[in-house]
Amino acid sequence: MQVAELLRFLLYPTFYAGMLRMMVPITLGAVGEIISERSGVVNIGLEGIMMLGALVSTYVGHFTGSMVLAMVSGLVVGLAAGFLHAGIAVNLAGDQIIDGVGLNLFAVGIGEVLLYLTWGSFATSPQLPPEVRVPSIHGFSPFVVLTLLVAAATWVVVEKTRWGLRLKAVGEDPVAAEAAGIDVFKVRTIATVVGSLLTASAGVFLSLDWLGAYTKNISAGRGFIALALVVFSRWNPLTALLGGLIFGFLFQLSQSIPSGVVPDQILWALPYLVTLLISAGFLAKARPPGAVGRPYKRV
Amino acid sequence: MAEYAIEMRGMVKIYPGGTVALKGVDFAVREGEIHGLLGENGAGKTTLMEILYGTRSPTEGEIFVRGRRVEIRSPRDAMALGIGMVHQHFTLIPVFTALENVVLGDEPVRSAGLLDVQAARARVEELMDQTGLHVPLDEPVENLSTGERQRIEILKMLYRNADILILDEPTAVLTPLETKELFAFLKRMKEEGKTIVFITHKLREVKAITDRVTVLRRGEVVGTVDTAEVSMEELARMMVGREVLFELEKKPREPEEPKLTVEDLWVRGEGGDYAVKGVSFEVRGGEIFGIAGVEGNGQTELVEAITGLRLPDRGRVLLAGEDVTGARPHHLYARGLGHIPEDRHRRGIILEFTVAENSILGLQRLPPFMNKWGVLQESVVRDWARKVVERFEIDTPGIDAPASALSGGNQQKLIVGREIMKDPKVVVAAQPTRGLDVAATEYIRRTLLRMRDEGRAVLLVSADLDEVLMLSDRVGVMYEGELMGVVRPEEVTLEEIGMMMGGVRLEDIKGGGAKAEAESTGG
Ligand SMILES: Nc1ncnc2c1ncn2[C@@H]1O[C@H](COP(=O)(O)OP(=O)(O)OP(=O)(O)O)[C@@H](O)[C@H]1O
Ligand SMILES: [Mg+2]
Repeated sequence: MQVAELLRFLLYPTFYAGMLRMMVPITLGAVGEIISERSGVVNIGLEGIMMLGALVSTYVGHFTGSMVLAMVSGLVVGLAAGFLHAGIAVNLAGDQIIDGVGLNLFAVGIGEVLLYLTWGSFATSPQLPPEVRVPSIHGFSPFVVLTLLVAAATWVVVEKTRWGLRLKAVGEDPVAAEAAGIDVFKVRTIATVVGSLLTASAGVFLSLDWLGAYTKNISAGRGFIALALVVFSRWNPLTALLGGLIFGFLFQLSQSIPSGVVPDQILWALPYLVTLLISAGFLAKARPPGAVGRPYKRV
Repeated sequence: MAEYAIEMRGMVKIYPGGTVALKGVDFAVREGEIHGLLGENGAGKTTLMEILYGTRSPTEGEIFVRGRRVEIRSPRDAMALGIGMVHQHFTLIPVFTALENVVLGDEPVRSAGLLDVQAARARVEELMDQTGLHVPLDEPVENLSTGERQRIEILKMLYRNADILILDEPTAVLTPLETKELFAFLKRMKEEGKTIVFITHKLREVKAITDRVTVLRRGEVVGTVDTAEVSMEELARMMVGREVLFELEKKPREPEEPKLTVEDLWVRGEGGDYAVKGVSFEVRGGEIFGIAGVEGNGQTELVEAITGLRLPDRGRVLLAGEDVTGARPHHLYARGLGHIPEDRHRRGIILEFTVAENSILGLQRLPPFMNKWGVLQESVVRDWARKVVERFEIDTPGIDAPASALSGGNQQKLIVGREIMKDPKVVVAAQPTRGLDVAATEYIRRTLLRMRDEGRAVLLVSADLDEVLMLSDRVGVMYEGELMGVVRPEEVTLEEIGMMMGGVRLEDIKGGGAKAEAESTGG
């Protein structure tokens, strides 16, 4: 088969629509984590938050038949997870990693249990009725627009506003920020919650827009890829968007190449591998916020 | 107007570790005076002022500002009362520009919270003109000198219209000239009606600038006196609780063979230009070789090149005859180098680590601290740490306390102790007594002399001219990356040294001869 023939799909708009869709969850997750880490708080529970957002919105959508309620409930999960993490990592100045690990494990477990108890399946929920699914506009998801806006707006806020300056100050050196009269706890709490909220919205996208159901492993490591993307982007939301596009392209590519040409396993792993390799390449040069991962305590 | 701008009554502070830093302190500052707060390391000076500024919370006690009882829970509260503070360890965001640092927390904005950079710049520039304190506004602070950083801290405080200014050991990081400028500035501020609290443990400075002084010792007030009515000796006695020796005894000693040799060393600085330009000297066993000079003339880079932290472009460094140019620090330590670094927080200790962990930094991979399976031997480490603490009289809540719980002087003692316990052949000490009180300074100077007497080679780099001249057997004066000359302290006048610090070569001062003489007699 000719290579040109093989890559014909690159000519069709559906390929690009799909690519943009695949950009959404990891970009939202990465931008959310950037906000959080810029304030000095690492949240490695992204994967879990995405899953829980997807799970709860599916559940609520299934039983209420309301898209709005489904979305809102998914976001409430994000809020709750954000406040939980902020409570532990910011206000109690506890470890920033442990509870994230716990959340990731919890999300996997609770998802499987609920799937089985509710629908008798370990793998997937039934498809959501059409009225609960987020409608596409000319084949494009509104989440795509949302993601572009969120990335751009985050950049503006971080680089051009007083809140951004304070956010960065708190993440670089909380002691100095406090001495300048900034409420470190407040800034960190807000950043953590907003970050978690964005990540949960990625979960809502996965269930209500992309799949129209909850499946086991619905996030498929995207939360972790988003974490890697944060480093790749050097904590810049616009670069994170670029990274999201690269991932989206690769993912769509791996879906579009007919099977049999390249071993499937390699194809599936491709987007993850390339994203990780790129991130690793950038890791050496990246300079994280000065106080990232370090709890702040007053004496 | 109330007599006192500030009154603190019965202040008690017990830190989480159990350290009682303040034991019922009464402290009052009159409106419009410069009030000195004098005390040794760990006396509680910083703690007292941090409470006033709201960064620490008191265990007990009341605060009155201009006669009114106030609760200060955060710096925001303090600022609202017109209180500003320049901290002992600067509180600037390193990656932010000077401008961003000054306005942070009180940023001028246009609608929707967008920063109004022009307005910010205009306001800060006006402030710089009014005060005469100038700094490059667009440079990230991490690229600026210590003097410039301090000016930013002061601008930050004045930007918020503070009229009660607290300065925590502001001169510890300044050159003599910068100190003079700071004093002139503070006097101007006083004339404008500002009230100033000036923390120090340098007696000379208390005499030079303060109206009244309060002396703290171990968390208690020894007394508050009019500066004009006490002598330095009396102040010293109040501070230390015993007579202080201002002179150190230095025995004559024959130097031995060279242990550290630097040959035509060229080192680039942060900006890429040469900071060290062809420096050569040698330090013999049983000798202290001092490097004097105004800070920023290449001393830092020179030390970094010698201690393996920076690669020289050209030239050689020999350690006990072995060429170690460009070798890594752990390699050098294994060959008998001890290093007391200039920036003790960046390179001397890890604040979050415990005293015990810090006491073996650099030794952690060596037996007996690590066994052959790569496991740290806890009990050996703890024994060692106890020995360091005991031998060097380090005041700490315990060996498991984080290094951050120690006062500056005790942190430095910990570093010095660790380096000496390594039994080094060559010791490089950069600004070893900066920020330390009389007792700790005396202790560390004695220790350096003892090392010399034991036959080790000591390279002493210090911006404190008195210190260099007092301790060194020979002194090299650095100016713009070059040695202006090498002299014996007893053979030069202060004026001659001053000229060399300003860029005049020794041979031009003495008309040849002298330099060769010093070098031949000394080494
Ligand atoms: N964060 C902390 N946690 C526990 N103990 C502390 C802390 N900060 C200071 N201390 C202890 O409180 C006492 C007073 O320290 P403080 O820093 O106020 O002294 P200081 O007079 O400013 O000394 P220096 O001249 O060294 O700056 C010391 O014994 C110190 O070890
Ligand atoms: Mg202090």
